[in-house]
Amino acid sequence: MKNDGVADAIGGLLDTYNDEKEAMQYHVQLKNGDVSDFVILPGDPGRVEFIAEHFDSATLVADNREYKTMTGKYKGRSVSVTSTGIGCPSTAIAVEELANVGAKTFVRMGTSGAMQDFTRVGDKIVATGAVRYEGTSVQYMPIEFPAVASHDMVAALVKASADAKLNYHTGIVQSKDSFYGQHNPEGMPIAAELKQKWEAWVKGGVLCSEMEAATLFVVGSYRRLRTGAVLLVAGDQARGESLTKEEYKQNMTESINMILESSLDIEEEK
Amino acid sequence: MFSKKVEQVKHLPLKIGEVARYVIVPGDPNRVEIIASMFDDYTLQGSNREFNAAKGTYKGTDVSVVSTGIGCPSTAIAVEELAYIGAEVFIRIGTSGAVENSVKKGDIFIATGAVRDDGTSKQYIPIEFPAVADFEVVTNLIKASKQLNIESKVGICQSKDSFFGEVEPERMPVAPYLDYKWEAWQKGGVGASEMEAATLFTLAQIKKLKASAVLAVEVSDEETVKKMTKMVLECIHIMEMERLNEK
Repeated sequence: MKNDGVADAIGGLLDTYNDEKEAMQYHVQLKNGDVSDFVILPGDPGRVEFIAEHFDSATLVADNREYKTMTGKYKGRSVSVTSTGIGCPSTAIAVEELANVGAKTFVRMGTSGAMQDFTRVGDKIVATGAVRYEGTSVQYMPIEFPAVASHDMVAALVKASADAKLNYHTGIVQSKDSFYGQHNPEGMPIAAELKQKWEAWVKGGVLCSEMEAATLFVVGSYRRLRTGAVLLVAGDQARGESLTKEEYKQNMTESINMILESSLDIEEEK
Repeated sequence: MFSKKVEQVKHLPLKIGEVARYVIVPGDPNRVEIIASMFDDYTLQGSNREFNAAKGTYKGTDVSVVSTGIGCPSTAIAVEELAYIGAEVFIRIGTSGAVENSVKKGDIFIATGAVRDDGTSKQYIPIEFPAVADFEVVTNLIKASKQLNIESKVGICQSKDSFFGEVEPERMPVAPYLDYKWEAWQKGGVGASEMEAATLFTLAQIKKLKASAVLAVEVSDEETVKKMTKMVLECIHIMEMERLNEK
């Protein structure tokens, strides 16, 4: 009886450890076995079903808040898709909880705004790194740390893009927290900072602007996960161009198929 | 960069046209000749301050080697002036310390990105911008290392400004700050610690150049430098063949 306090404490620690591996994950509502090692991450939960339609088979495994997950097979390889919601805060939660239940490779699939003359609507951007203009990743790692995608994942995505003869670019993207800070900087109290930084990113050769990649890459480095991101250029502020509904759907299909083909280059981890 | 077009740049012992498209950038001026000795042929072009230059050919491709001196301030000057006189692809060869536990003494490390723990790159672009190596150069360095059976690791390095802040942090007035950051780099998966890559990668990105770095972990003997040079030269050869194919 005397030692029960210690035993309880140790037992408690073990429970916590096992809980982390076995338990239902709080936000994504997934447990071990529910997801593949390879997960596609769109922002929009409304896009999950459309993405899964490109699998050979798929089942809905969870749907809670902005996190909707389907798991299935593509050419014999297991694959999952989980939506992250908009922004880095909800993305960090998704990545952490998916990693807790066995996911090892994460490819974000999203839309973005063009930032260079040569990045046009319909182009696919394979991100090698991301500008950390967001608040989540700095609660993981000091700001000096670079948000970098995994080289082998980038290589697989580039190969799949080239094989499919898509218009693609590799390079750095910008991740921001404020959507309207980009689209209407003049309206913001910190307009001067927003415009000055935007100009610096453009001069620095940043290809497009989006809202989740930086945190995906930083959390991925810390948790030793494989990460990548494919951003479809859907809008071009400078030219006032955007994809029509039909073009958008066609381009999404191209992005999805490209990511699925790249998954075949990544060895399946059980 | 210069107010009127000048032939001779301010710091490097070189004029416009005297550098190859591909340039190897070690830190140490004394390594320039060791590296050049691995070319098929080379000429020493002179030296000024910490900048020592040589140019030659490898398998028919023109290659340069120019030292940067220690640290990002002199590296930025070298990169600016080399770009001005015609260099386009920069591959750093250097030594480093191990950060993360899985990286060991004797490893050859290929950098995909760098922690911007330096002061120079911040005078170019805000700190949120990532110092990322060029995808094509990294891919071909990996290809070259495989072809030559040289084992290599791929990942993020840290670029610092204070050498002794890394090796003897406890004696620095900012010791707690140095310790806390070092621990973050370890947890975050940083492989190697060195002093030039962050500025090299940031400038390359801004100036539309291509760059990466090959780092030896905790060894700096001549044999290791030659091994890294072999890898880099083979990478340059592959890149040049691919470029000619595309033409």
